[in-house]
Amino acid sequence: MAKIRVIFESGEPERVIEFDPAKAPFQHDGQPGSVLDVLLGHHIRLEHACGGNCACTTCHVIVKQGFNKLSEASEQEEDLLDRAPGLTPTSRLGCQAMIEDPNAEIAIFVPRYTINQVSEGGGE
Amino acid sequence: MTDQPSPATASRQRPVYTARIERIFDHAADTRSLFLRIVEGGSIRFVPGQFISISIPLSGETRIRPYTLASSPEDGEPLEICFNQVPGGQGVRWLFGRKVGDTLSFTGPFGTFTMEHRPTVETVFIAEGTSIAPIRAMLRRVLADSAHPALSLLYAADAPEHLLYRDEIERWARRDSRLSFDPIVVAPADLHARMLEEVERRWVKADANRRRQFYVCGIGKGVVAIRNLLRGSGYERRAVHYEQW
Repeated sequence: MAKIRVIFESGEPERVIEFDPAKAPFQHDGQPGSVLDVLLGHHIRLEHACGGNCACTTCHVIVKQGFNKLSEASEQEEDLLDRAPGLTPTSRLGCQAMIEDPNAEIAIFVPRYTINQVSEGGGE
Repeated sequence: MTDQPSPATASRQRPVYTARIERIFDHAADTRSLFLRIVEGGSIRFVPGQFISISIPLSGETRIRPYTLASSPEDGEPLEICFNQVPGGQGVRWLFGRKVGDTLSFTGPFGTFTMEHRPTVETVFIAEGTSIAPIRAMLRRVLADSAHPALSLLYAADAPEHLLYRDEIERWARRDSRLSFDPIVVAPADLHARMLEEVERRWVKADANRRRQFYVCGIGKGVVAIRNLLRGSGYERRAVHYEQW
């Protein structure tokens, strides 16, 4: 079984999910088997304003462990990440980063401000 | 499933707006605009190109689907979204079932496919069908600035009735000689190939100028092909903005 540990900057309690990647998709948004798919399918909320279609950065997560176990980021994902606040070398979009290794152990950090609610004159 | 955040996560949720459908306009039998007046949640501020995320009840759960605002921030309310029927598009089917006076909920605005700065170099907009929505909002913003640079809009559709806002854009182009508007109608199977060919002819092979910027919005892989062509032809990566629907 693969495992994801989810750490919230907001201070919410950590969550750990064990799952079988072969059983993806777990719901209907994001790439099947993506971090977003796994979290939503296990009743953990992760923002995904565009519906998990790689058109915003609200599902931005920072991978703390197992970065190399995730699918490679596309140019489109990289372009979007460029616009994400708090970008790090191990940032990914939850809707695109897929876990295919049945033994993967991943830890992700969910920033408090996953943004993209850019609005004129301010906003996050 | 996805609409049941734990109490701990609820505090991170965005403000939710409720809007009433004030007007419906059918561009074509399968393409519609809804005009939304916010009745709960206050007003929103957005920049051209952004979208709102509408909560759509389907099969006993709530799904989130993005719809780009086709109206400009300067217009205020009602906000306009436009969409077309697509095979298997459950969200759109639900929206087509709404009537004037119905309400819907949304969060936002969201999105990074935006024009945040006044353009200072020649700017090319490329769209197909309903993906004109963000481009229309951007164009209106740019055209309001009398000092704008040369602008081009390449707009393709699979039928004349799918060239949305055509009369309006043609009026803009007649009034402003620095806006070049090129609508093209192409059979669906050839649409992306034709767009790519036009982009290559006009902005790759025609000259060696690589100081233009591009805003490309479209459906499917055609956008990626245009992005790759432009970036591979010497345009700066960050001068090629795009959004793939």
